[in-house]
Amino acid sequence: MRKLLNGNQAFAYGCFIAKVSFFAGYPITPSTDVYEFFEKEMPMRGGTFVAAESELAAVNTILGATIAGARAVTVSSGCGFSLMQEGISYAAGDFVPLVLLNVMREGAGLGDIPRSQGDYDQMTKGGGNGDYHCIVLSCSSMKDCVEAPAKAFELAEKYMNPVIVTYDSDVAHTMEYVDIPDEIFDKGSAYYDLKSFSRDYARKKLKFVLSGENTPPRYIQNVYYHNKDYDRILADKYDDIEKNCQVADEYRTEDAEIIFVAFSTCNRICLEVVDVLRDKEIKAGLITPVSLYPFPSSTFAKIIASGHVKKFVCVELNILKQMTKDIEYAVKFRVPVETIHSMSTCPTVDEIVYSEVINNV
Amino acid sequence: MYDMQCPGCGHRTAMMLIDQTIDELNIKNKIIVGLDVACCSLLIDELRYDAVMCPHGRVLPVCNGIKKVQHDKIVISYMGDGAAYAIGTNEMIHAAHRNDDALCIVTNNGLFAMTGGQIPPSAFDEKAFDIVPLLKNMDIPFLARETLSNRENIYNCRKYMKEMFESYMTNGGFHLLELLSPCPTNNHMSVKENVEYINVTVSKILKCGRFI
Ligand code: SF4
Repeated sequence: MRKLLNGNQAFAYGCFIAKVSFFAGYPITPSTDVYEFFEKEMPMRGGTFVAAESELAAVNTILGATIAGARAVTVSSGCGFSLMQEGISYAAGDFVPLVLLNVMREGAGLGDIPRSQGDYDQMTKGGGNGDYHCIVLSCSSMKDCVEAPAKAFELAEKYMNPVIVTYDSDVAHTMEYVDIPDEIFDKGSAYYDLKSFSRDYARKKLKFVLSGENTPPRYIQNVYYHNKDYDRILADKYDDIEKNCQVADEYRTEDAEIIFVAFSTCNRICLEVVDVLRDKEIKAGLITPVSLYPFPSSTFAKIIASGHVKKFVCVELNILKQMTKDIEYAVKFRVPVETIHSMSTCPTVDEIVYSEVINNV
Repeated sequence: MYDMQCPGCGHRTAMMLIDQTIDELNIKNKIIVGLDVACCSLLIDELRYDAVMCPHGRVLPVCNGIKKVQHDKIVISYMGDGAAYAIGTNEMIHAAHRNDDALCIVTNNGLFAMTGGQIPPSAFDEKAFDIVPLLKNMDIPFLARETLSNRENIYNCRKYMKEMFESYMTNGGFHLLELLSPCPTNNHMSVKENVEYINVTVSKILKCGRFI
């Protein structure tokens, strides 16, 4: 069914495609639409909605639901997402496949609600205590938002690691037509009946699920406690993730001399910038890092090896050039990397097309 | 059993009482335990049940998540006073307010034991944190307190525990049993002195009995 949805609603429908049957959360702009959506839809479909007393309770409630075998999500933004770091760090330490959505808002502390990408480092480099990474998936279109939850759960359950889906508040509130499978609206379909999935016997057999019936009993605690070779287990896990989970979309990069790198709102603008520049016979292209961690370094290596690129331009919404640093690391300083950035003021297409960055090519 | 605990520790007694109740009611294959961190987390390796070590003070949200998915299971939330009455008070009050299906057992020794006996907000002084007035008027099916000191009181704990499990299995809802417990190590007392201290001093500050 074709529906006009904003990013948050698209993500929420995507959760039903991924058979999410449990939501716990605490509202905060700009992620609140997801909360509102589940408040209404979860009880209708036999799923569970918990209005948690805080973000701490929300993330820990979905931690419990996950280890009981359901697919559960929570969502937050800004300072609310910071409170969730406790549960995320625990999930990483305990190898629990937690999935969360962070709709980024502006600034440190309370900040404000416009689009921003200042949580980039928090999500990709850690955020909570200890030696861990979350897999981070970015969304730029409503279609990405619909597809992200299924991808996120697949990765989380494969690597037993928390996965964060993220986009900024402009993607959260932009509306676009997007296709949702008909089964999601069909009361008779297995996608509609969430109760049977969360109580599915097969899921209780998954290796991380506590069913009360395991012999010998199963304990969920930090990997450090029950594995002597946890050093190797952790190193292998993150090596595997870094090798196999890099995802990037490329747009007109085949012969591009100037390649933009951007995700979420900036990505939507850069798509147009590339077309405008191509019309002006400037060979421009765009890389969209879909996985922010692991950062898609292999895509950069491949493009550099083909020899046509003269510079990368990162367009991002933070002051500290957070993603630019990852690009510099990926290109190993063999190609110059420039940045167009601001905390929350997105450059327009014209501002980029007529900027110095382009004139210098 | 439960050899990680110091001699005379209330956690060992509490966990043994839980074991006995579970055996008596023959529900061993329905149990999932959420444990808090610190001294009570040391129990995990000897538990006969599936268990999860929860973040400090978040046992109730984690157990709420488990119970809401596995409705037919008995999910025990086991914690100390740091989790229940310091870092996790918010979670405790709201779990009770929502009347979540919870079987909450708090072993209260009035100090931060694992870190070496520091004073918590729930210390056994004249302003001791008393959960009873806070929960007494809530719509919950079970609220009781007893001391893990002399024999009669421990029998009483056992009785409360059985009542609590039975009530949870038939009606659900929020159940809280607080056990005032010795920690001889950090009180720098012999086991006998510590038991005496709980019987004489602590039970005057925090009144025992079944309140709901
Ligand atoms: S320190 Fe206290 S609470 Fe901890 S195990 Fe020893 S007696 Fe028990």
